[in-house]
Amino acid sequence: MQLKKPKPIRRLLTAATSTLLASTAQQVVAVEKTPWQVDSAFLYYSEKDRVTVYEPVVAVRKETGDDEFIGVRLVLDSMTGASPNGAIPTDSPQTFTAPSGASSYSIPAGETPLDTSFHDTRAAISAEWEVPLDERLKAVFGGNFSKEYDYTSLGLDATFSWDLNQRNTTLTTGLSVSQDQINPVGGVPTGLTSVPTVVGVQKSTQGGDESKDIMGLLLGVTQVVGPKTLLQFNYTFADEQGYLTDPYKLLSVLDNSGQLRASDPYVYEKRPDSRQRQALYAKGMHQFGDDVLHASYRYYWDDWGVTSHTYDLRYRYELAGGRHYLQPHLRYYLQDKADFYHYSLDDNNIPAYASADYRLGDMSTTTIGLKYGLVLGESHEFGARLESMQQKAEGDAPFEDNTAVIFQLNYSFLF
Amino acid sequence: MVTATAQTLQLEQHENGYFCSRFHAMASPCELLIETADEQLARHLGRLARDEALRIEHKFSRYRKDNIIYQINHSHGKAVAVEDETAGLLDYAKFCYELSEGMFDITSGVLGKAWRFDGRTAVPDEATIRQLLNYVGWDKLRWIHPHLTLREGMQIDLGGIGKEYAVDRVADLMQQQTDCSVLINFGGDLVCTKARQSGQGWQVGIEQPVYDQTGQQPAANTLIEITQGGLATSGDARRHINRDGKRYGHILNPKSGWPVSDAPCSVTVAAASCTEAGILATLAMLRGEEAEAFLDAQAVPYWVVR
Repeated sequence: MQLKKPKPIRRLLTAATSTLLASTAQQVVAVEKTPWQVDSAFLYYSEKDRVTVYEPVVAVRKETGDDEFIGVRLVLDSMTGASPNGAIPTDSPQTFTAPSGASSYSIPAGETPLDTSFHDTRAAISAEWEVPLDERLKAVFGGNFSKEYDYTSLGLDATFSWDLNQRNTTLTTGLSVSQDQINPVGGVPTGLTSVPTVVGVQKSTQGGDESKDIMGLLLGVTQVVGPKTLLQFNYTFADEQGYLTDPYKLLSVLDNSGQLRASDPYVYEKRPDSRQRQALYAKGMHQFGDDVLHASYRYYWDDWGVTSHTYDLRYRYELAGGRHYLQPHLRYYLQDKADFYHYSLDDNNIPAYASADYRLGDMSTTTIGLKYGLVLGESHEFGARLESMQQKAEGDAPFEDNTAVIFQLNYSFLF
Repeated sequence: MVTATAQTLQLEQHENGYFCSRFHAMASPCELLIETADEQLARHLGRLARDEALRIEHKFSRYRKDNIIYQINHSHGKAVAVEDETAGLLDYAKFCYELSEGMFDITSGVLGKAWRFDGRTAVPDEATIRQLLNYVGWDKLRWIHPHLTLREGMQIDLGGIGKEYAVDRVADLMQQQTDCSVLINFGGDLVCTKARQSGQGWQVGIEQPVYDQTGQQPAANTLIEITQGGLATSGDARRHINRDGKRYGHILNPKSGWPVSDAPCSVTVAAASCTEAGILATLAMLRGEEAEAFLDAQAVPYWVVR
């Protein structure tokens, strides 16, 4: 039984559909425009009683063609404060000449000697061009330049990513070269020669400047394991040649009785002039509902004898349907010292290479942090990150533990 | 990041002068046939189409938690302000509700809690359906541009027009970018932007699962030539329910809460746009045994499988 004859509705429907499709056409055009993406950040890093760093960063990126991007990044580092000069604390006060040789600073008995003349500003600019070479092959070419008072660095890099297996697998290879130039205050000290203890006495130098060349290689594979899981493996190799010593670091030399030797108690450090560094890195990402877990491990080794393990864990909690998120962060780093690391030197047995830089010693760092992110609409995002880092001596070298606070604000927007 | 990496875009060149670009979006295989020999152009159009399809899916999927639909469906009786594109779709949904005298209703999705069309004979009881009907009905919500207010417990689902809308949106983008003939096909809902250079259209095999008397053996698909305009199919013969020897399709009558009886297995309609074709096909399904009479009155080309 037919209740009533169907009405023709098509004319009305056609008109309404046209209205729907026309009303949003402009919006779709707007989506097509490629705005500049701007990422800005301000980082504050402060070690207890030591170095403080203020670092503003601005990066811009724009799509210039089909999957083709250019990006420029500017970083300004401003460091102030004091850094350990490598000498050990002693029972009596110690006096050191500043690197310039024109002034001196004194350290009270029992305290770790810190070089208070440590302050510098570094400006760095880098640019990159990302371009598809083929449907499945992408290249990123980059260059970077940085300058600080006594240091200049210039580098070039190229990275190629090749998608395979319906884009579930990506192979990456990268090459980079850079050349750094150092012009230390007061010249480049000759390694393992005495540090002047009296203002006005010239240190022994091996010239006014030095350089180092670095070549880096990266091989990586990224695999989509499932709709929610991603794994990444990298191998990196770097070859460094040239002046790899820190011209401002020294070592204390002790006599038979374990006291600073009476004459020339400090010598400049000296490191080998070549270093091969390698690392294996594995990272996994898994999505739990809206949340994402990032876990990574890195094993590092070099021909200076340094080995290290880094464990890193982050978990991104999505709140309020993705408009906010909280991301706790836990990182543990454990390092075995370089072969030529010495807390102090023995008067009777000065080796060919030696450094007391705690960054080459047996040590660990533990970082605990939390990041908060706020997504303000489609094109604005704000974030704040607070972290605390604990650095501890791990071997028998009793260098002083250190703590640092890291605070970062970042804001990203499109315009 | 995980999903972005997995969004594959395939491109292949065919002998008779066109490129085929494929990707996956809106739970469907999506395909573009582009009459050009320019691979760069084909790739560019493929990317645009994919990005637009994913944008619409992201924005209007009811399975995500970071979009406007989630906000609306979890608004707990509070008004939600929506932007222009969503407002346009809500206006359109309201229009279709009125035009169909309440049969096309984007709030009817909650009835899915009672009905599972998995081929088994589980039929919900009348009390459950009556209870759910309290949360169904466009007349129970408040839509005053740009504010939408749902009663607690109500939900909207734009799935009934989203895919067809995406096809039309992509077609519009393609026309802005190229004079070539492009066929956009998202899982059987499709649009052809213009005739091919030969004057011919594109041959499309519409997937019409035609079953014989025993309900087992699928017969051949229907081949249609489409020169310009949209084509959409409503219905799926594999999703049904049996009760008292009667076979119900998966299209629900939002007024009664029951499946429309004697609805065709599928209805395919050709119209000026894919969205319009989709609405006509859905309205025909909702007419049940009157589907053909309804389509005859609209004077559109159609293919009904019963």
